[in-house]
Amino acid sequence: MSNEESWFGRFVDTLPTKGWFKFLSKYVVTPYWLWKDPKPKLPGGPRVSSQPSDNVQRMMNLIMPLKDPSEIGKARAVMAIAQNVDEIFGGLDNVGTVHFARFVILGDKLCMISVYDGDFSNYIRDFIVTVGSVFDAIMAEIEGGSALIPTEQNVEAFIEWVHEHDLFQAPDFPTELFTLQDQAKGIGPDGPVHDLSTLPRNLVLQFHSNPDISLGGGYRAYPGFSAAQIREKLGVGW
Amino acid sequence: MSAEFDPNAIQGNIVRGYGIHHVRYLMLEVTDRKAAREFLVASLNGENPNVPIIQRETEWEENPEVCFNISLTFPGLQALGVSKKNLATFPIEFRDGMASRALKIGDFGDSAPTKWAPPFDEPDRIHLIASIYSDSEEHLDKVQTQVAEAFNILGTRDGRDLAKSKVVFGYVDSISQPKFKGIHDKSQNKNDELLDPLGTILLGYPTRMEGVYFGIPSPSELGFNGSFNAFRVLSQDASGFENFLTEAAEFLLKHPNLKDVLPPGGARQVGKGFSRKTALREIVAAQIVGRWRNGVPYELSPDTMEPDPKVSLTNFDYNRNSRCPVGAHMRRCNPRGGPIVQRVANLTRRIVRRGMSYGPDFDPKNPDDRERGLLGNFLGANLGAQFEAVMYDWLNLGLQHPDITGSNDPLLGANSVDTSWFDMTTRTGGKIRLHGLPRFVVCRGGAYTFLPSIAAINYLSQLKN
Amino acid sequence: MTTNSDKAVAKEMVDIMHRPDGDPKLRPIHTNGIGVTGFFKASETAAEYSNSEPFQGNKIPVTIRFSNASGNKTRHDGWSDIRGMATRFHLNGPQDFDLIAMTLQEFFTPDVPSTLEFLKAARPTPYHSATPLQKIRDYLSLKVPKRNRYPHEDLSPDDGGKKYANKHKFAQLPIFQTASIGAPVSYARAAYHAVHTFIITAPNGKRNWVRFTWQPVAGVRPRPIGPDNKPDDDYLNQEIRDRLSDRETARFTLMMSLGEQEDEVNNCTKPWPLHRTRIVMGMLTLNHVLDAKAQESKIEKMSYNPCLLPEGIEPSDDPILHIRRTAYEISSKERHANRCPFAGGQ
Ligand code: HEM
Ligand code: HEM
Repeated sequence: MSNEESWFGRFVDTLPTKGWFKFLSKYVVTPYWLWKDPKPKLPGGPRVSSQPSDNVQRMMNLIMPLKDPSEIGKARAVMAIAQNVDEIFGGLDNVGTVHFARFVILGDKLCMISVYDGDFSNYIRDFIVTVGSVFDAIMAEIEGGSALIPTEQNVEAFIEWVHEHDLFQAPDFPTELFTLQDQAKGIGPDGPVHDLSTLPRNLVLQFHSNPDISLGGGYRAYPGFSAAQIREKLGVGW
Repeated sequence: MSAEFDPNAIQGNIVRGYGIHHVRYLMLEVTDRKAAREFLVASLNGENPNVPIIQRETEWEENPEVCFNISLTFPGLQALGVSKKNLATFPIEFRDGMASRALKIGDFGDSAPTKWAPPFDEPDRIHLIASIYSDSEEHLDKVQTQVAEAFNILGTRDGRDLAKSKVVFGYVDSISQPKFKGIHDKSQNKNDELLDPLGTILLGYPTRMEGVYFGIPSPSELGFNGSFNAFRVLSQDASGFENFLTEAAEFLLKHPNLKDVLPPGGARQVGKGFSRKTALREIVAAQIVGRWRNGVPYELSPDTMEPDPKVSLTNFDYNRNSRCPVGAHMRRCNPRGGPIVQRVANLTRRIVRRGMSYGPDFDPKNPDDRERGLLGNFLGANLGAQFEAVMYDWLNLGLQHPDITGSNDPLLGANSVDTSWFDMTTRTGGKIRLHGLPRFVVCRGGAYTFLPSIAAINYLSQLKN
Repeated sequence: MTTNSDKAVAKEMVDIMHRPDGDPKLRPIHTNGIGVTGFFKASETAAEYSNSEPFQGNKIPVTIRFSNASGNKTRHDGWSDIRGMATRFHLNGPQDFDLIAMTLQEFFTPDVPSTLEFLKAARPTPYHSATPLQKIRDYLSLKVPKRNRYPHEDLSPDDGGKKYANKHKFAQLPIFQTASIGAPVSYARAAYHAVHTFIITAPNGKRNWVRFTWQPVAGVRPRPIGPDNKPDDDYLNQEIRDRLSDRETARFTLMMSLGEQEDEVNNCTKPWPLHRTRIVMGMLTLNHVLDAKAQESKIEKMSYNPCLLPEGIEPSDDPILHIRRTAYEISSKERHANRCPFAGGQ
């Protein structure tokens, strides 16, 4: 009789669905591995690249903890943004590198999700210049945000803060996680080869440092073109 | 935050150039903190004849014989004992250092930091970069010997101005520079571009971006009136460049729209005694940079390098019908008031350039492959908002205009023969696309440095830990 | 040019590929397949990128062989395996066009020596299931235990490959993806990648470095494996027959990614980032499954070759692509197939 067919084999196969086993995994197994093999936080946003199509239509998932996550606090965040529609369009129309942007309130967080072209710090900086007051209004509702107001006079610190709160984008090719985790520990591409079977564990452990992540760098219907190129092609000016 | 500007409070060569034609850069390591601090004290008070004096930004009638200045890298500030808390107030680009930002500024492939020449291959050991400007070799050597008493000299680099203010590819350089409110720069007398606010180059003053001040590192003694520099050793492939001009000219000679670039019989209008091929080579060279090699701006004189009457070298702007290609080097680095995607960024990403050439002269008639190039300093109050912004989005990528997005600077972009392209303009408003531009400029080393004010040098010299 | 040493290496590769449960008269891998015909029509934009015959917009007849990658002569459609899609475009020009694709996005090894090493290391081994204790150990290490063995699965296809991938970074992605590749509900419901880079030339002379993928219009759909882990052995052939009966068709969009500077052109272990510009190059319409006789005489005897390329489509310098040319030629000769398009004629 083969292993799978023994009663014990079948029992073992169902272990992951058993409540007590899940409990064990969560409260003993995972903490043990976190202690043994901690993973540094991986940086947010799209990774720097020299290639043109990596540098247009880049995704930002800015996740900001609300200072006051009560119903009232959320309503205040909504108001802060709703009162600034002119400002936001003023920015969009003059920064010229944003494809889409939207705000979402999710649990106790305010999320700003956008698709932009080019360098991240230029994007944020250009927006501070045009709509610094909107960022100020938003930051007033965000935990730790007051220290950055006015953003116009804390440009560098604000850009770094946004980068900190931009979600880590898990690699599109799963095994690249090894490379990124190595990099975060200062190990280069010539470092030792990982045991492939540890990839699932490495992902599990990463969630401890990056509890929220973006699954990959996003999918695009017409990749490789900037907002201005698309506007030019469509004949709507840029 | 804004303050009156006092020229004696900052080092020289920042808001204005020296006009001296030789330079020696010393890459320095602090091996004895105490000796380094004593050197700094003496370099300010001038009481020790064996320590060179820091040259301040003062206007002089006659050029001094030697000008000595210093700049520091992030590891340098650490080495001199700046506290962790204060170090953290420096901007991220500077904290990371040039080698860590390599991908962002196009330093990959042959330009990758792993391939940099010593001492740049050990970026953490470079603590200071000192510069000695003097037209006498003797002075350069003397000051170097003095510096060696207090620091470990990891390496030196000598630069010089080539004949007729040219740089290695044969262009006249250093024509356009930002010109600052309240600062009189004789060399820019005829430049009537908009003045740049002081915050473009010094920390603590308003910038071109309304309401925006760049952060001043703490304490303000250390940060205020400071500036940042991207020091770059850029090797230039002069024979490769000349070969490309020839190839491009031959391509154009066979092009069906040749007459839109050079009408029959038009060669002599381009330049005295030119053959058609020579004229085409010079047209390509002019469109690549945005100036004819003699410095005449292409925008003002698209059909000849010898306009009569003469045209201004600096006073022009770009528009939708410009003959200067959108992708030309100087239009990419400074689109001036011309149409760009990031309209808010017009005139905000200005860079002060102080550079000299290194290596042997190049003779196009007897081409050789010895290393030569530019020792470039790209200065500004914020590396991220100026140098990196220009390198990442404009020089490479070409985000500022949909017609060039996806292409790199023809002169020094991170190009590869297989994928590169450059659109030339024609007389009839059309375009001709050139392919196959190689990478002419390779980075051999460099560092992001902080240019401390006089007060900051004093602060550093007095640190006690 | 094929050199003698290429021949020796390619021969060795083909020899290693033959499995004990295979059949020397059949293909050493991709042993089980089915032939389908139809036509390809290029999109309107295709001709802007390529001056080659397949992309000029004419209706081009095609012969396709879908296959399971395994070299086991017995069909096991439901087993987790890579699938193949070999397409011959029958052109008017002197040379036809073979576009050979598989459901894995990348290959296992970047060059010839590593391929030989890999093929040796990845030879099927007797199946050893994980013991319950090993599985518990895996759970406690937050690993995913080895999948259970299928009935009659005597040889393990990937134990050797996994060991190899633990020594070579380049093999990790393909091995990881192969381990979870599963089985499709239909040959017409999987995406197939041609993996290598090819160079095409636009009418204006501009050369582009590109990679091709077939996207099924019906969508990609893997087949869930039942709780008893007893997958069907033989459903794919009947499925495609049923699908194409009553004048019904199955369609694939040919997508082409444009390579950019610094992209891995000659290294087929590295897929390009997912957001390279994708061009819609045309539509493939399948409308006929070959009958048993034609299957026997035509498809089983057919010799595809990844280097059979018409004017205007050039191979990159990918060493894998070049050694495949010789390997396919040798394999074709050994199984007495119809003359490989390259045999003898260089
Ligand atoms: C070896 C490398 C380089 C060469 C040969 C070169 C050459 C030139 C030349 C010939 C000019 C026109 C002269 C003038 O207007 O002063 C110019 C202008 C300029 N270059 Fe470069 N350059 C190089 C590197 C760079 C780099 C790395 C940057 C910036 C990051 C840069 C930024 C500029 C700017 C801002 C201008 C002035 C544009 C204007 O204000 O209109 N250059 N360069
Ligand atoms: C060095 C690497 C490879 C070698 C040595 C190799 C070898 C072979 C051989 C010998 C055959 C049988 C050919 C015949 O007898 O006609 C074959 C078939 C096949 N191979 Fe490969 N192969 C390699 C890589 C690939 C790759 C990268 C792909 C996917 C793009 C691929 C897809 C296929 C397919 C689809 C078939 C079946 C063709 C048919 O239906 O006739 N192979 N391979």
